[in-house]
Amino acid sequence: MRLTCPLCGERDRREFYYYGAEDYLHRPSEGAPLSEWDSYLHLRDNVAGVVRDLWYHEAGCAQWLVVTRNTVTHEISGVELVAERAK
Amino acid sequence: MPDLIAKSALEGRSLALGGVTLAEVDPGPITSIALYPGGTKTAAKGLRTLGLAMPGPNSFIEKKGARIVWTGREQAFLIGVAPPAIEGAALTDQSDGWAVLALSGVAAVEVLARLVPVDLRLAACPVGTALRTQVNHMNAVILRTGDYGFEILVFRSMARTAWHEIENAMHMVQARAGTKI
Amino acid sequence: MRYSGLKVITEGLFGNRGWTPAWRDPAPKAEYDVVIIGGGGHGLATAYYLAKNHGITNVAVLEKGYLGSGNIGRNTTIVRANYFLPGNSEFYSHSLKLWEGLEAELNYNVMHSQRGLINLFHSDGQRDAFVRRGNAMINQGDDAILLDREGVREHLPYLDFDNTRFPIYGGLLHPRGGTARHDAVAWGYARGADRRGVDLIQNCEVTGIDIEGGVVRGVQTTRGAIRARRVGIVVAGRSSQVAAMAGMRLPIESHVLQAFVTEGLKPVINHVVSFGMGHFYISQSDKGGLVFGGDLDFYASYAARGNLPMVEHVMEAGMTLMPMIGRAKVLRSWGGIMDMTPDGSPIIDRTHVEGLFIDCGWNYGGFKAVPASGWCMAHLMATGEPHEVARKFRLDRFATGHLLDEEGTGSQHNLH
Repeated sequence: MRLTCPLCGERDRREFYYYGAEDYLHRPSEGAPLSEWDSYLHLRDNVAGVVRDLWYHEAGCAQWLVVTRNTVTHEISGVELVAERAK
Repeated sequence: MPDLIAKSALEGRSLALGGVTLAEVDPGPITSIALYPGGTKTAAKGLRTLGLAMPGPNSFIEKKGARIVWTGREQAFLIGVAPPAIEGAALTDQSDGWAVLALSGVAAVEVLARLVPVDLRLAACPVGTALRTQVNHMNAVILRTGDYGFEILVFRSMARTAWHEIENAMHMVQARAGTKI
Repeated sequence: MRYSGLKVITEGLFGNRGWTPAWRDPAPKAEYDVVIIGGGGHGLATAYYLAKNHGITNVAVLEKGYLGSGNIGRNTTIVRANYFLPGNSEFYSHSLKLWEGLEAELNYNVMHSQRGLINLFHSDGQRDAFVRRGNAMINQGDDAILLDREGVREHLPYLDFDNTRFPIYGGLLHPRGGTARHDAVAWGYARGADRRGVDLIQNCEVTGIDIEGGVVRGVQTTRGAIRARRVGIVVAGRSSQVAAMAGMRLPIESHVLQAFVTEGLKPVINHVVSFGMGHFYISQSDKGGLVFGGDLDFYASYAARGNLPMVEHVMEAGMTLMPMIGRAKVLRSWGGIMDMTPDGSPIIDRTHVEGLFIDCGWNYGGFKAVPASGWCMAHLMATGEPHEVARKFRLDRFATGHLLDEEGTGSQHNLH
């Protein structure tokens, strides 16, 4: 598997660390009910198909990335910088 | 303050095998420049005094012994000169944190091909390219300094491991060159 | 048909013409008391114990493919009870006891072999942790023996004891640990359930779960609707998809775990050896192949194939531990889909729908759990109450904070 980092270009999977589903970007606001925290930390759609998840370019530019990819075919259809996305 | 003696990680050693030379080089001062939010313009102004600018991704720029290397988003290493006054960025002295190895020779690219998971052939990696990647399992910054030359920055604590890995690869490439297939 | 040595001999003398199929191939009925979704090890064991322990025989097991076509048919076959945390400890202890009587129970040779499992340690701190674990195992009534370096050398002389990074300090021997024949476990339970009247229905994919007013009414399948008062979801590897049919979002992320088998060799590895620091474990199958594996590929995946960096990592770890295996040729490798929960422990519980139960989240330790999982799931479905040894495997434990984090690595799906 190879991921195309928006900064570094196409790189081997070994350079990246996988964190988990994109859900981690949607942190509940302060005072949110416990069920929201449970959902944020634990519950996952866990789709067999196209998902968006968080990867870290650990051995490259050290950027967090949102990767759109298919969990069945391993096809990668998009890689974005989390930093750019927040702007 | 006692008088400290500056020592390089590998005592400036060098090795030639099969037309490839590996040598430790002294890069001079290394300063990390990390832009603050909105600091792009003022930092550019500071760098202009050296005739330099923040480099684009995967590249480095050289001018009169000063080199500026892209090392990440809104971040670069200024190498070889003391940093000028720069507003709008965090400056951190990194000089003693790195060991720099120069690898040169026609087969240098074949040596690195055994260790680095990125295509380093000239067409894919022209002179002036700077890559953050790995040398085997070690994080490294690799600079394409010439058609047949590279410089490799690794954490100083891993200098001997990097040397060992590259030396092994040089032996293998040399052995391969002597084999008729 | 009852299997016996005599039967094998007489059949051998008369051309093996007297064998009959091990189970029937029934068409689905319109209604059952209980429907189990999933014809893997856990589902078949659940059906078996529903019939055996609770007298509930009007049961259907619905399997999308063929029986035992998931992880029960492809795993590294390790059976052990060396857990530490209360909640896991009693469950796996119960499971091991069931394993020890399983062949007689099922009249089926599952080739359970208690060859002993050795977990290696490489530092003083790790030794302390293993002493503590060993004491927990003994307190639970299971067995554990602390081996020093020379003790390990007596059992495993072929290891590299002086590796620079991970010199071997000793090991924790679990003599009752071992392996079993994976497929045979599924087949044994299938045959046992079938003989007690359970309908095993293959090529029957569940496409929907019928719920009315918060109560389960049955399932929709590719072979028609089937009514049932109680439905169990036992589909590790696809738990999230089936649970979604009932409107549930599970604390599960699916990951690939790879394993490898070499060509058949003469007996060389007599135990199950686990090298935790290198993420490597190995045993030798009765056919002679070295069976070994490592860690997850580390990203969510439903592709039943692994990636090459992990292949390299496992091979490197194997070479580090026992350089001799460099001579063996790998015959095949595979990747299985693991239900990874945030704490690395499973779930056997009711759901928000009355009459709907779920058994899932086996991470990469589901095989050894098959007997107790079936036993406890059957108890839950028959009585409505969790079995004593599985009462901590609750679905809501993540929300309430009652985690069973055996590895102590925290709430992240891929870290267990």
